[in-house]
Amino acid sequence: MAIDTEKLSGAETLRKTRTYGKFRCHNPSCMGRLTPAAGEKQVRCPVCGMEFRVHWIRPDFPRIRGPVWDVNRRLAEEAAAKKLPKKAAKKEGK
Amino acid sequence: MALDRKVAYIDLATGNIETRPIPLDVRKKYLGGRGLDAYLLYNHTEKGIDPLGPKNTLMISAGILGATLASASARTHIMAKSPLTDLLGSANMGGFFAPELAWAGFHHLVIKGKAKDPVYLWIHNGEIEIRDASNLWGKTVTETQWAIREELDDEDVKCAVCGPAGENLVRYANVMTGIKNSAGRSGMGAVMGSKNLKAVAARGTMDIKIAHPMDALNYNRRFIDQIVSAKVNQTQGTLGTPFIWGATNSWGGVRCRNFQYNQCEYADDIEPERLDEIATETMGPYHMTGCFGCQVHCRAQYKIPSGPYAGKYDEGPEYTSEGAFGGEPDCKNAVTVLTSNHLVDQWGVDNLEIGSIISWAMELFEEGILTSKDTDGLELRFGNDEALLEMIRRICFREGWLGDTLAEGGIQASEKIGKDSFEYLIQVKGMSNLHSDERATPALALGIATGSRGSDHLRSRPAIDLYHLPEEVLRKVYGNPVPYDGPLSSDHTSYVGKAWMVFWQELCYMGVDCLGICKYHTTFLGATLPNFEDWTKVLYYNTGLEMSPTDIWGIAERCYNIERLFNLREGLTRDDPRKGDTLNHRYFDEPCLRGAPDVIGATIDRKKFHKMIDEYYEHHGWDENGVPTPETLKRLGIDKEPSHLL
Amino acid sequence: MEPMGKVLMINYEKCTGCRLCELVCSVMHEGVSNPSRSRIKVVKWESEGLYVPISCQQCQDAPCVNVCPVKALSRDETLDFVEVDYDVCIGCRACVSACPFGAMSFDVIAKKVIKCDLCDGDPQCVRFCEIEAVEYVDADRVSVFKKRDAAQRLSAAQKEAAALQAQL
Repeated sequence: MAIDTEKLSGAETLRKTRTYGKFRCHNPSCMGRLTPAAGEKQVRCPVCGMEFRVHWIRPDFPRIRGPVWDVNRRLAEEAAAKKLPKKAAKKEGK
Repeated sequence: MALDRKVAYIDLATGNIETRPIPLDVRKKYLGGRGLDAYLLYNHTEKGIDPLGPKNTLMISAGILGATLASASARTHIMAKSPLTDLLGSANMGGFFAPELAWAGFHHLVIKGKAKDPVYLWIHNGEIEIRDASNLWGKTVTETQWAIREELDDEDVKCAVCGPAGENLVRYANVMTGIKNSAGRSGMGAVMGSKNLKAVAARGTMDIKIAHPMDALNYNRRFIDQIVSAKVNQTQGTLGTPFIWGATNSWGGVRCRNFQYNQCEYADDIEPERLDEIATETMGPYHMTGCFGCQVHCRAQYKIPSGPYAGKYDEGPEYTSEGAFGGEPDCKNAVTVLTSNHLVDQWGVDNLEIGSIISWAMELFEEGILTSKDTDGLELRFGNDEALLEMIRRICFREGWLGDTLAEGGIQASEKIGKDSFEYLIQVKGMSNLHSDERATPALALGIATGSRGSDHLRSRPAIDLYHLPEEVLRKVYGNPVPYDGPLSSDHTSYVGKAWMVFWQELCYMGVDCLGICKYHTTFLGATLPNFEDWTKVLYYNTGLEMSPTDIWGIAERCYNIERLFNLREGLTRDDPRKGDTLNHRYFDEPCLRGAPDVIGATIDRKKFHKMIDEYYEHHGWDENGVPTPETLKRLGIDKEPSHLL
Repeated sequence: MEPMGKVLMINYEKCTGCRLCELVCSVMHEGVSNPSRSRIKVVKWESEGLYVPISCQQCQDAPCVNVCPVKALSRDETLDFVEVDYDVCIGCRACVSACPFGAMSFDVIAKKVIKCDLCDGDPQCVRFCEIEAVEYVDADRVSVFKKRDAAQRLSAAQKEAAALQAQL
């Protein structure tokens, strides 16, 4: 069989699209690129205001460790007050 | 040659053992691993049999690339009718068992009947012996394996075993190998237990000839580069799969308190980074371990830092243990997660299922549907770590009314508990969902609703849908190897084109399961990971089989349809809440209450969901009831099943 | 200057136990997947998570060379490793008994003794070990790396001790 050893597969060609040093905001409609400064422990999304704690896999490779709970919880409560029927919002408060 | 590995038929009742070669035309239709297992299951079981009765047939297999230079060609596949769902049972594990089975001369075991007394199988260089296991009965997962090694006086023996949970016929017991590798879904360990089969031990020193050795080596190097260059695998290699739970919890995509909430707030103590920090002796980049031939090394090693099991060595935890023993029961304590993980590894039960079932019981207790009389006085409330640990033990050993009841699996337990307990059970086809919340991600919701082994994230989950990849990237992935020019959307909250993604992923995962390689080495968590096109080369260099990407796609489709035929034969109907392609009503009725602002309020839209299922059936060539049309079966060459080629 | 000769440097603390080295070794030398025919083997204590790859140390005063009754073993001048001359070897396995590391194996399929030959200078175990538990380095560098590691541990311990002292 003619196996083309040189030709890159679809998956291989996509490697060039990879980026380091940044990640996306976790808010679905936002998904903005966040670029924490080297070694930074916390980052705030300039678009939606969510804040995240940062973990560094490598010096050039950050990931979201978790939310800054107090901040993101407040944002969630604001969104809930706007969007949720009262009954559901009440359940959250219990 | 990989292609000269055999199939063995073992009748435990009569002791009769027969070995046969696997004909090339069968390989070309089903490859091996899960695909060929599905064919064997359909051909070697009768409709309506009791999954825990002697008529069930248990398949244990390596993929066609098992033990070859395919990078992580380590996966063992187990199949039988599931005692949990009464439908297709199928489970898959890493470790070192499948390669050893292949070096011992076999790719597929077909195990029938029930042994009179406990036995284990000893498979060694083309020979199979049924041996007494009465001294092994009651032993834990690792005790069993070490005892077999001692008995056979060979440290290199690899075993697939069931633990006490399997012996006790807990309907979601695992088949396991090594410290923690688990074929952990759909109760395959209970099938072993029901057959009085404690273990399958293998050791082999038979050559597997590589068709083109130098090309295989060179290509494997390139394949590994591709795999380890993915950021997701670099993260897995330091934090293991808990990193996914951590990331998902961050935006509100995990389950908490039996699906009441979509986020476990202030869960800092069970964040993967935290687990890494406290398990100082063993976790961290160089304290990871890998399955056979794998350079991702995603399995963390740890010692329990404190508590009654302090100092015990184990591996993991994985995402599932984070969800099952941390997020879902709302026990935000690292030691609880690590301890629970150790208990299920030792007793051999599905962490995902047992965590879900206990959380379900916790909600029933808080709602007053279960009372302290039912729990023998146990305060089975969310956040009660001790109650969680106690219930794990009661279920594995069927202690007390509730332990015994919950060991029967959700649907049967709900019938015993009565009232409206079923309404609280988060399951599909009788199997509990992963502790992810899919209300904001329609593609993922469709995946769990339609998975052939019940609710599951490893059947068809288009996880890359969460990455907001540009449409041209999605087209490059999902437009191959068969052309697709329908709609695709980068927005993971949308319903557009998701049916195709799920369909594509189903066949992709069927592909890796037939080859016997790991899902972290394909388009699961990263868009740049290898798939059909890349597999043609691995297959050719290692086995000499010449196939095109569309050939492999076709095989995957054929195998998936065989699984569908099995499920339909055993009673699957589209809208059956217990056996259908459906979701618990909470997905549609209860909005997400936590997480990122855009996730708040998310539900699955009933109408759009229904339409998505229609589309998904259409891609498959199934009618509106989810039944493959005669044309589809004919096209795939399975219109005359069962055909008994093997 | 005389070539120093490179050696396999094994750091078992890094090993993840995947055994890819065994697989690629057997494919390279025999064209098959079969760890029992590999020149390198990962010895495991699974219940502790301890994995130790064992391969030939290419000893300077090699017991296998000394014990061979037919002088089939000798030192290869170019790559500085212990080589088996299969035209001379009688397969008596004296070398297998003599090796203090168990690194001389007997291949029951080919019916011959087997040992690491450094793959003509491109050891496949090194080529495939992403975690670099097996490396191919100049012989004189091994102890330099070890010195550096030891120094790092010492200095870290010193800093810790100083911090503790400061707290008193």
